[in-house]
Amino acid sequence: MTSQTAALPPAVRVVLGLGVLVGFAALGEGLMRLLHWPLPGSVVGMVLLLLALGSRVVRLHWIEPAADGLLGILGLLFVPATVGAIQFLGAGAEWGLWLLVMVAGLLLGAGVAGWLAGRLVRD
Amino acid sequence: MIWFALTLLAFALGVVLQLHLQSRPLLRTLLNPTLLATVLVGIVLLLTRTSYDTYTRATEPISAFLAPAVVALAVPLYRLRGLLARQWRALLLGGAAGTLAGVALDTLLPRALGLSPDVQRALATAPATSPVALQLADITGATPALAATLAVLSGLLGALILPAFLTRLGVRHPLARGIALGAVAHGIGTARAREEGELTGAASSIGMGLAALVVTLVVAARG
Repeated sequence: MTSQTAALPPAVRVVLGLGVLVGFAALGEGLMRLLHWPLPGSVVGMVLLLLALGSRVVRLHWIEPAADGLLGILGLLFVPATVGAIQFLGAGAEWGLWLLVMVAGLLLGAGVAGWLAGRLVRD
Repeated sequence: MIWFALTLLAFALGVVLQLHLQSRPLLRTLLNPTLLATVLVGIVLLLTRTSYDTYTRATEPISAFLAPAVVALAVPLYRLRGLLARQWRALLLGGAAGTLAGVALDTLLPRALGLSPDVQRALATAPATSPVALQLADITGATPALAATLAVLSGLLGALILPAFLTRLGVRHPLARGIALGAVAHGIGTARAREEGELTGAASSIGMGLAALVVTLVVAARG
């Protein structure tokens, strides 16, 4: 199987991988809609893909080129959402308070996570 | 089509500039490609008086890759499954405690400051990744665009300030740094964590997945 996938043109390997990744996103989305659970389909799809890789239903080399490509530009994929900030420029000075809350939450949360994880890490 | 091109080019410009700033850590952090692209595109939209709706429709092809990219986070997790299975205690307990602490402060502080209910609801989901915050907006009653924007901005802020903060705190282990970034700064934090190495990135994507579940459960419990 490895040689068969490696023989594919690089662009087709990306297409194959994307197909699998989008398929799992759709699977997660569909499952959550069916169960009426308020969980994001893509995160459920990630867990399902992890299980599929572990049980060898899906092979890593099928999805590697597409997955590494997408993760390499993860920061780009958020840009259309972040640009949405321009809709709320009217809030003016309140932005200072929103940022203050976010920074406080980030520092406390990351501080607790980093400190606790650092103590629990097994060497 | 032009907005699609502008977004890609602005992001690529950010990556190019960042590559030229290897020796200037602070400037490199400030010139995050996501932040640069956001500011550049935002300025052009405002100058041309283009509506955000028009822009969103033009850049749908980019947003369409968000869900498969979240699914793709399974790949680094799977590659490092042996190590992650050995370190589950640090990753799960550290990540859950961090996200809970972040959500608690993001819930209580807006109340103490007397912010509007809509902003309170939007801030409470900021430690979750933006697609999750969007879906949770249906449950909390927050304006979806505001919830998503604050979640993304929180990730951006986290990517900017947390690496230096963690260093100052003395958090040096890649797993501890990664889980801390993922627990509160989700997707953008994970993109930043991946710059420190695959181990940090993998820990961050676990933190991001766990944060999505923790925030969802907190919202469900309060609902």
